[in-house]
Amino acid sequence: MNQVEKIFCPVCQVSFILREEKEAGKKIVCPVCGAVLVLEKDNSSWLARRPDDLTPEEEIRARIENFAQLRNYKFNELKEPLVEGLLKKHERYGDFYCPCKIDNIPENVCPCLETRQGSVERDGRCHCGLFWK
Amino acid sequence: MKKVMLYALSTCPFCQMTKKYFEKHNIPYDFVDVDLLEDEEKEKTVAKVQEISGRRAFPVIVIGDKVIVGYDELSISEALKE
Repeated sequence: MNQVEKIFCPVCQVSFILREEKEAGKKIVCPVCGAVLVLEKDNSSWLARRPDDLTPEEEIRARIENFAQLRNYKFNELKEPLVEGLLKKHERYGDFYCPCKIDNIPENVCPCLETRQGSVERDGRCHCGLFWK
Repeated sequence: MKKVMLYALSTCPFCQMTKKYFEKHNIPYDFVDVDLLEDEEKEKTVAKVQEISGRRAFPVIVIGDKVIVGYDELSISEALKE
């Protein structure tokens, strides 16, 4: 059998092929949303979980930096107030939901679904103004 | 003077910038931070925002009978002038 095993990202809920050596405890970056994940071996398959050794601020900062790098997006002076908004959302609702949307649901976890699906390419920025083309 | 209403979220920087814009230009406005409302009031207000803007994202600015979704200074100043 020559099937490539995919890793499921618990942040953006997309499965991706990891093109690097797998090792338990190794930190990887989801190529779709930029989330920092930790590899774990579960019986014979590989799992990725969110790291527990990062503060919420470290986790979201790393994620948005990675996402911007993956897509070649830029930040501006709105970045800091938006990180603050994301941290407030995390504190109140338990995850980094979009600071400019009312619904605290998985598709609004930053970078939100519409951003992952290319709204920055279309509008020049994401709805909040965190990511800019 | 046209009636100005801002639907905002307390976590959204563009919403804060909209407030600052109105203050800087001495434009009287009403606002509500929708995320800080009690559940029932929140639901009612979000339903209204969705009805007028077609979205559940903020800010939503109502100037007279014009609805502006997102922070757009040009649209705001034009709507105030019209």
